[in-house]
Amino acid sequence: MPVIAACEIHGLASMDDKQLKTALGQWLDSPPRRIDRLILQCLLAAAPLKSHVRSNCGLYLASAHPARATMGALLEAVCVQHKQPKPFEFVNSVSNAAGFHIAQQLSLEGPNLFIGAGAQVWMQLQALANLDLQDGLIEQALLLVCDEHGDFCVQAVLLEGATAGAYANSFAELSADTEVLRIKL
Amino acid sequence: MTPIYLQRAALHCALGDDLHHAAQALQRGQAPQGEPFVLHEVQEPRTYLYAAKTGESLSERLDRLLAETLGVPPQTLDDCLLIVASTSLDISELEALTTERQGFCPDDSTSLNMLAHQLRQRWGFAAAFTLNTACTSAANGLLYGARLINAGQYARTLVLSFETPSAIAMQGFGALMLTSASGKYRPFHPERDGLLLGEAYAAALLSHEPGDAPLARLLGGFSACDTSSLTTTREDGSHIHWVMQQALNSAGCSAAQINLVKLHGTATSANDEAESNGMRRLYGEQMPALSLLKPWLGHTLGACGLSESLLLLKTLQLGALPAVDYASEALLPFSAEPQALAADSLLLTNFFGFGGNNASLVLQGCAQGDLACR
Repeated sequence: MPVIAACEIHGLASMDDKQLKTALGQWLDSPPRRIDRLILQCLLAAAPLKSHVRSNCGLYLASAHPARATMGALLEAVCVQHKQPKPFEFVNSVSNAAGFHIAQQLSLEGPNLFIGAGAQVWMQLQALANLDLQDGLIEQALLLVCDEHGDFCVQAVLLEGATAGAYANSFAELSADTEVLRIKL
Repeated sequence: MTPIYLQRAALHCALGDDLHHAAQALQRGQAPQGEPFVLHEVQEPRTYLYAAKTGESLSERLDRLLAETLGVPPQTLDDCLLIVASTSLDISELEALTTERQGFCPDDSTSLNMLAHQLRQRWGFAAAFTLNTACTSAANGLLYGARLINAGQYARTLVLSFETPSAIAMQGFGALMLTSASGKYRPFHPERDGLLLGEAYAAALLSHEPGDAPLARLLGGFSACDTSSLTTTREDGSHIHWVMQQALNSAGCSAAQINLVKLHGTATSANDEAESNGMRRLYGEQMPALSLLKPWLGHTLGACGLSESLLLLKTLQLGALPAVDYASEALLPFSAEPQALAADSLLLTNFFGFGGNNASLVLQGCAQGDLACR
């Protein structure tokens, strides 16, 4: 696939959301308010690619898990405390909330999909993006995978143009010919 | 786009425990019986539209739905992609666990792809993934599943979509003040007061081939993100209009050729206003027949793209769509009489959701028994 930019963010489990928001401030003038950890993590990987992105770009985002803290807060509020959820926590729990905020911050106007990240996630994201690239619906596609098992890693690649070749099965393979911006928080 | 058939399908919903009975109930205008629940803290009653209670676990229910869709004997599925399109996934099970333990342990959190992975293992699908784009999940599942077939990635795609009765969804939409206090689900009514949530389980098998009982051909569609708000789309209808127009372009047809528009119609103030404006941008005052399905199913959230499409298509095969009993007051020109359309009508179906996701599909129904369906 024709990769024009790539970014990989590593963060420690001990980093709290406030620290992530501070880090995001280095890339975005006005980061969105009241967002959860998954949204912050995804924005941290997408924001450094902003200068390469044009509006005619689709977003293909994946995560293995929802934002666990948000899900926990909702479950505790509704099932244990018998309270109504906080509205911002409820809307953040929609899996594609992260995709919305990336699209808004990077001014993306194309399709915006969210899938659960399994073993074949990179190939699946490329296949979905390539449909829209091949049909000329978009010129660029931003692919992003968030993974958090204790520490977290978010990988993003920006594609320009469709491919007729085989799909890469990992971020490393996909970005092999590209200089990857690697950030350790 | 090259048309793709909805070759086989199944639906369990508030109107009936199979697609045929649900369509018959819709034709009779037989509204589903809701059950009350109470919003926490404010202690206000709301209504939920449950599917028939069966005592099955979610896995058992999904297995039964897949068996109904695929028929017997079981098919080999090594050429078939599974797309699980849902916003609730296993949340009802997590809610039950949290209630039982009186607390949530982060280790209980499950993978977003867990159900898709388990179903792939049990049924032998070639590949599987979860697609979650809020209320456009199933619509996107149909659209991208069909296009992956056209791209030669898979011979078939099974789109499996469901929404379980989640306490978080019920309380969350209540907290956003989007649920109807009156219990009357009246999209586009000037005094509409919000939505009723509904439970549904739906599946459709997509293929280049019509099979022995095709429901429809998916001719095209389009999906994009309106970044103006996380929870509403542009009220001037401009994004909805653009998405509908792009969907028509992908199907190679014009707005004038459409026989019926299935509206998203959530009965929330902002969504209905935006969709009305989008429709006027596309059609002016001369609109094709219009259809509302959420009053009959409830808002089935991520499943609505499939539950509503299947119900509409099956009902058109059986006969007329029901009248809208408040047609004279509505924001859009609904029919006060039952509408009999040809089963092979051209349909534009709208689905809009949180996260700015707006999607429209273009379908052509297949008359019952018409195996060629062209």
